[in-house]
Amino acid sequence: MNEQPPSHRELFVGMLQVALSAFGGGLSAWSQRIVVEQRGWLSNEEFLTGLTVARLFPGPNQINMAVYIGAAFRGLSGALVALAGMLLVPFSLLMLLGVAYFSFHTLPAVDRVLAGVVAAAAGMALSMGFKILDQYWKDPVALLLAAATFVAMEFFHLRLVPVVLIAGPLAMAWYWPRGSSSESQP
Amino acid sequence: MSLSLLLTTAMDTLSVPTMAATTASATAAASAQCTPTSLTDLGHLLQVLGTFLGLSLFSLGGGNTLLSEYQHLSVHQFCWLTSSQFADLYALAEAAPGPSSMLVGLLGLGAAWPEGPWWALLSGYGAELAILLPSTLLMVLACLSWNRLKDSPWRIAFERGLGPITLGILFQVGIKILHTADTNAAGVMVSLVVCVLMLRTRLSPLWFMACAGVLGGLGVINR
Repeated sequence: MNEQPPSHRELFVGMLQVALSAFGGGLSAWSQRIVVEQRGWLSNEEFLTGLTVARLFPGPNQINMAVYIGAAFRGLSGALVALAGMLLVPFSLLMLLGVAYFSFHTLPAVDRVLAGVVAAAAGMALSMGFKILDQYWKDPVALLLAAATFVAMEFFHLRLVPVVLIAGPLAMAWYWPRGSSSESQP
Repeated sequence: MSLSLLLTTAMDTLSVPTMAATTASATAAASAQCTPTSLTDLGHLLQVLGTFLGLSLFSLGGGNTLLSEYQHLSVHQFCWLTSSQFADLYALAEAAPGPSSMLVGLLGLGAAWPEGPWWALLSGYGAELAILLPSTLLMVLACLSWNRLKDSPWRIAFERGLGPITLGILFQVGIKILHTADTNAAGVMVSLVVCVLMLRTRLSPLWFMACAGVLGGLGVINR
């Protein structure tokens, strides 16, 4: 560990470095390499705690991770600086891409290529549920909750916010830890 | 505004008659179905910001749970985009480097595109700030109080309870995006193959998108 916590400038540059290194993907791995191994800001354990918090709370995981790192050293302003470092370059590039899209998407050639890319992207979206299905496979209540959520949204066209506001507290009540052997389900 | 006009003229002079005509009529049909409420520029911007501020704290499971909601808002409720434009933007956000949740910026951009590129950019940056601000503030609070929160029953119940709900939402989102993509049979096949490859291999999804883009260019996949 460094004796001195990183300054705002260092936080910004560090997160910028993470964002630029991860252009081919693997944002999480790069952020661990740079934050833990190269700069020594966090121990590996602290980094993993950060990932847990980032996954638990609402918001994109990698962006929450940047917020966690910034906040750990410099509070709210550190979090905002780290966030800016993480997003500035990729987001500005995306905005340029968006401007190009809205300028050119009516061209038939562009539209044809996009139709293919969209098919692949739909496959990626379809895989998201299956990716986390494994961890719930042995818990019938979890599967029931997931199925009920799916049916409510897909067939009864309920919107996300009411679904979460109704099903969330019910699920939390069911999974509320009870007694010392809280691992067992009620 | 002037840029798109320029391009329309350029397209006409390049004469790509049939396809351009069908695209134009399709766009006209879509806008006839769904007319955006007329707002001043500032009003429009505030509408975008307010929507995303309100959704920020519902981005469970890394934010992908919001995709259906984004689709509903931008295509059916506010009529910023056509369904296929939404699918295009989702694909762009997945393909571009950086977190895919930056899709919100593209939606903001699309929402204000008719008002000109500068308004659109402002709206895009604003939308992204709006979706990130509440969750960021909550995250900062969480970091500062994590030691107390770590063993709290609220934390445990939240983590265990919201997980299955996230699972259900993600399946619904997957189906929704597949519907929105609305490709031909070959396209659906490609979607299913990509889904399996995403689960079974560790290949970068960029390869899948590149290959599918070629298939699209060749006319194998269309919509």
